[in-house]
Amino acid sequence: MNIILSIMREDTFWKILLFIHFALAVGLLAAITLQVVAVLMPARQVAGNFTDRSPVPAASYTALIAVVYLIQALMGAWIYIKYRTYVRIPMEELRHFWTVGSFELKEHVVTMGLGLLPAYWYFWQQPASAEFASVRKWVTVFLALCVWYSFVVGHIANDFRGVGS
Amino acid sequence: MTQTLDAGERFSQLDSSLTRGALTSTTQMGSKFGTFAITFGIAFPLLYTVYERLNWPLFTYHPVLGILDFWRQPAGVGPPMFWYGWIVLAAASAFVVACIAPFVSGHWLRRTTVFCCALTALWPAALAGLRSFIVNWATFDADFLNSVWVAAIPAFVGAAVITYYVPARLADRAWTSWLLIVPIGGLVVLGYSLLQPWFLR
Repeated sequence: MNIILSIMREDTFWKILLFIHFALAVGLLAAITLQVVAVLMPARQVAGNFTDRSPVPAASYTALIAVVYLIQALMGAWIYIKYRTYVRIPMEELRHFWTVGSFELKEHVVTMGLGLLPAYWYFWQQPASAEFASVRKWVTVFLALCVWYSFVVGHIANDFRGVGS
Repeated sequence: MTQTLDAGERFSQLDSSLTRGALTSTTQMGSKFGTFAITFGIAFPLLYTVYERLNWPLFTYHPVLGILDFWRQPAGVGPPMFWYGWIVLAAASAFVVACIAPFVSGHWLRRTTVFCCALTALWPAALAGLRSFIVNWATFDADFLNSVWVAAIPAFVGAAVITYYVPARLADRAWTSWLLIVPIGGLVVLGYSLLQPWFLR
């Protein structure tokens, strides 16, 4: 940490970290949204010998989503230190209570998603099995909602004091 | 020629039994991991919600000083952070529970899940009910009822009754549904706790 801070200013370092967090969030958002769309609106089967471009199988995103979600949670936990001291205190002083409250809920939302990752990964190991079809679908939808909520609230908090604010 | 065919058949039987054996062991491993993963997915949000509500962090992080203190510590220089402590404690506890789960019979596992979830819902409800009784209805000095341990009695009895009367088939079918019910319920409880300090301020 000291080596990094000897190369660049501290706020520059945190802004770079925040930007990486944002870039990974966009990737995670895209992957989980595609998977949710695939799971809620599965592609219709092609009739006869008529060939068509097949969609990317939804199961192929699973490992990527689980790994990126975990990395994002860890990065978020790291950046949270700076948020707690540098962002939240002025937010409270300026009476942005809704933003603080939404961010507090984001912590819980991310945590709930984190706990579901092993089950989510397990359900997608046999994507064709009908046994867990329903729970697989709704766990994926729940994870997607967690990611979307976290993204929107994180973006609002960033607008208060973050990259480009 | 016949002998060769017989031998070939025996080899293919051996192959298929080996393959079947390997598949069975893979399935067993898969189902054991499945039990672990599902139990973890239920236990983690449940315990996280409980620890957050009771404010039981494994450690407190002081961001200004950059130091960790065991368990819950008051604010020193700058604000204390409990979130990491809740997550780590919930993850460790859920991990232990999930490691035990594959060695418990499926029937008992599903019954225990129903019991634990019912208990988690009933315990605070019983405490709230007792507090409401003390304030609104009690005509005697009922302050001794304002205790988590007194509330535990109706909560345990209620959870046991629910577990007893829930049909085995329903408990089996609903087991994976707890994966969604528990985190959503937890978020409702945690979200409600944020209403007064932030959203209705």
